[in-house]
Amino acid sequence: MSIGREEVVHVAKLAELAVSEAELPRLVDQLSRIVDFVAELNEVPADDSVPPFQAGAETTPLRADVVAPIPLARGPAQMAPAFIDGFFVVPRLGAMEES
Amino acid sequence: MSGEDGKKQRLGAITARETGMRLKAAEPLNAALHWSQDVLNAEGARVDAMTASGALHAVPVAIKDNLVTIEQPTTCGSRILEGYTSPFNATVVERLRQAGALISAKANMDEFAMGSSTEHSAFGRVKHPMDHDRVPGGSSGGSAALVAAGVVPVALGSETGGSVRQPASFCGVVGVKPSYGRVSRWGLVAFGSSLDCVSVFGDTVTSAARVLHVISGHDPLEATSVDQPPMRMPEMKKDLRGITIGLPREYFPADLHPGVKAATDRAIATMRDLGATLREVSLPYSKYAVPTYYIVAPAEAAANLARFDGVRYGPRQIEPANGDVRALYQATRGKGFGPEVRRRILVGTYVLSAGYYDAYYHKAQQLRALIASDFRTVFADGVDYLFTPTTPTPAFKAGEKSEDPVAMYLADIFVCAVSLAGLPAMSQPIGRDKGLPIGGQIIAPHFHESGMLSVAGALESALDGTAEVAR
Amino acid sequence: MTWEIVIGLEVHVQLATRSKMFCGCANVYGAPPNTHVCPVCLGLPGALPVPNAEAIRLGTQAAHALGGTIHRTSVFARKNYFYPDLPKGYQISQFDKPLSTGGAVHFESPERGRVAVSITRLHLEEDAGKSLHDRVPGKTAVDLNRAGAPLAEIVSGPDMRSPGEARAYLVALKQILMYAGTSECSMEKGSLRVDVNMSIRQHGETTLGVKTELKNMNSFANVERALDVEFERQVGLIESGKAVEQVSLLFNAVSGTVKVMRSKEESHDYRYFPDPDIPPLVLAPDWVEKQRATLPELPEAKRGRLMAQYALSAYHAHELTLDVAVADYFEAVARAGGDAAKSIGWVLGEVMSGFNEGHGFPVSPARLAALVGVVRDGLVSQQAAKRVYEEMARNDGDPKSIAERLGLVQVGDSNALGKWVEEVLAAHPGELARYRGGETKLIGFFVGQVMKKSG
Ligand SMILES: [Mg+2]
Ligand SMILES: [Zn+2]
Repeated sequence: MSIGREEVVHVAKLAELAVSEAELPRLVDQLSRIVDFVAELNEVPADDSVPPFQAGAETTPLRADVVAPIPLARGPAQMAPAFIDGFFVVPRLGAMEES
Repeated sequence: MSGEDGKKQRLGAITARETGMRLKAAEPLNAALHWSQDVLNAEGARVDAMTASGALHAVPVAIKDNLVTIEQPTTCGSRILEGYTSPFNATVVERLRQAGALISAKANMDEFAMGSSTEHSAFGRVKHPMDHDRVPGGSSGGSAALVAAGVVPVALGSETGGSVRQPASFCGVVGVKPSYGRVSRWGLVAFGSSLDCVSVFGDTVTSAARVLHVISGHDPLEATSVDQPPMRMPEMKKDLRGITIGLPREYFPADLHPGVKAATDRAIATMRDLGATLREVSLPYSKYAVPTYYIVAPAEAAANLARFDGVRYGPRQIEPANGDVRALYQATRGKGFGPEVRRRILVGTYVLSAGYYDAYYHKAQQLRALIASDFRTVFADGVDYLFTPTTPTPAFKAGEKSEDPVAMYLADIFVCAVSLAGLPAMSQPIGRDKGLPIGGQIIAPHFHESGMLSVAGALESALDGTAEVAR
Repeated sequence: MTWEIVIGLEVHVQLATRSKMFCGCANVYGAPPNTHVCPVCLGLPGALPVPNAEAIRLGTQAAHALGGTIHRTSVFARKNYFYPDLPKGYQISQFDKPLSTGGAVHFESPERGRVAVSITRLHLEEDAGKSLHDRVPGKTAVDLNRAGAPLAEIVSGPDMRSPGEARAYLVALKQILMYAGTSECSMEKGSLRVDVNMSIRQHGETTLGVKTELKNMNSFANVERALDVEFERQVGLIESGKAVEQVSLLFNAVSGTVKVMRSKEESHDYRYFPDPDIPPLVLAPDWVEKQRATLPELPEAKRGRLMAQYALSAYHAHELTLDVAVADYFEAVARAGGDAAKSIGWVLGEVMSGFNEGHGFPVSPARLAALVGVVRDGLVSQQAAKRVYEEMARNDGDPKSIAERLGLVQVGDSNALGKWVEEVLAAHPGELARYRGGETKLIGFFVGQVMKKSG
């Protein structure tokens, strides 16, 4: 098993995904199978001289510094699950409260 | 107003009514997520107010539900976007509208385009139009099924790793993936950004070509958009004289499904009869395509799907006992994403997490470069196009692979390498085995979509793609 | 035991562009919340970023101004973390391939004389929005007007050796960036923000101690204060046998204390990878060179030139160049004929204090040059000229007529004055008689008549 229970729990935390105790064993199983499968690539020799792939345009185009926002057919107030006095509203944050 | 002109001017309204009837009749397939007669009628009226000269005047088009539309919801087949309607249109939707097309329905899909069977939609699986126990392929299974069932002649899907070619093959329709960057991604909800391509389904090669002609071309709203003109309509040829078709041996394994083998053999013979030169070639790195894909795509997806956090849009879930913002995230995302999306987010997060980047993501991007250079070498060596089976088997049964994610991933073994290399490719019907369609894949060099469609057109007219094969 | 403090600074400045880093929304401060937002900076599904050319140009000029090496190819990456004011769940930033590396800031250290603090890197990124904790009771309110604003992050080496030196570095850096036109650099408006890395070690040691990170300082003075507080805290820990832990701390300016915000175990794993939505940024060498050539004169160079051209002292040149607008004003006075040696006092005195109070330059350089001339000619005393200047700041009029109106003209030749008085008295016998009869307010009339003659 290339990926264990602790790693799955850690990664789920990084990804902000709730994972229940009940589903954990099966998830560990499936993720291990996937990670073992992709780890096959480790056997392929590819030294540093192989540059990583670049998709699409080779260099980024740049946008002229002009104020021209893409219009919204519906504004934030109509999209947001909680919106008060012009603000998106979320439950209180712990760490940054004093700032 | 003369009779002929009057009819032309009412074409939108007529199409709206007929498409509504067809969508209604096709409801058992569960292929359309959002449509209404009201929206269809409004589209019909909009089209009727335009001149009839648009390249797709009054042509009804179904749109995969990961392309954003102002007039209809966009859910990506996910609970996390249930009830969401975009405040802007995708560039491809705008281009279709300007060409006079009628935006008819939003098509069902594997959640966030993750899957190869359209069983992973939060809103229920899509049924194969010819056999309801089977899958239509995926992730663009809804779009493929709507074209296969004759509801619409053309539809938009999207490809990240074969999600149009594979369902086109399963459903017996034409599916065309353009070069990466040739069709705008603005308004395509991102899955694997370096792989994602808006792609086209058509009931014929020509109808698919007409749509690609309309939607392709540079878009300043996308930094990866390539500065290429829109695709020209393909020249329709009667033969394939002077064209060299490569047959990569890695795509014809000894244990290939006998029906698929018989169908590809027959298509190859037809191309030879049409005057094409056929040559065996090798793409040795293609065998690593699926594992490479399953590093790159989930890594990009894990970041792309981080925006679904219940803060700015979409439904919000919160554990009543815990009012912390982390609890909001974890509950919203934990409940909002289905099992396959959760698996891929976790894998993608894992391969990018501290200490693993070089072993996984960096290595996969190197493999990608090697896979792409295989294709370049072959095309530089006198091969004009490549021909392969699109899928290793015809459409499989629903539930057959849903317990084993890796078995499902291998359904894309012949389509993944092309996605990684960013090349144009397509699938077209080349026969049936026990009534189930089989697709043949043509792969072209970058930006040679038009020539690829010419070859496909010649093959389409010389070969009955619905004929049963003899094994 | 004597402890040495080792300080490195990370400074974020908002670039002075019209639009945001990756979208066409206005880059403005102080608008009603969530009014400058679009699909891109809201992180809506299907939106894509395209970099702003002017942000690249300003970043490149800032890098030149700091003497950095600008790389032909740099790469935008995704820095992944969840925060309510980070719409996409990642920040687009530059990671292993920044726009520029190297360079230095030269300045006078309060303790060590002239020092050079190295610049490790300058990279471009997008700003997050603002989380406000006092708007909605019990909740956090999010404003995304700032989300996607263009930032340059400037990271120094761990080269500073006192809190005062850190402050002096910030003053010098801000000055350079303002001269280069990079940013408004206002800590109040949040267009300049400072994060501090600090550790201590025994004098003479060459390895670095465990560092802590200080955030949330809203002025240069508070950066200095926070460093003083944190220095004492770290020394206290070590001298009582404890270890410094690698933590992030928040400075509370009211209580003058620091508080642990995040420990190392909770520290982020940002999972950086190149942003697949943005191909590499490739800058043509001749374009990069052009940005160097068109860079405005920087403070260091300006000081040298002012000293040479106007025979100013190092101190005067330093004061004058604190703000480029003041230096420009001084040069305009000189060009208008104001004697440089005599103008400098005015510019560094009345002019600069008015400017620093936010009044701009109410007296045009030409008018100040005229005032300097009037003083030089002895028409108005240095003392009286200050009142003339005040009046010039309030009202139109040339310095001479204002001085006359205020009765501030001095007459150097007392014989001449006596003669004028005699002539006036002789010419107005009636008025003289009335004055002598007790009508004392007529003194104003006589003064006016004398002044008329003097004019
Ligand atoms: Mg930063
Ligand atoms: Zn914006």
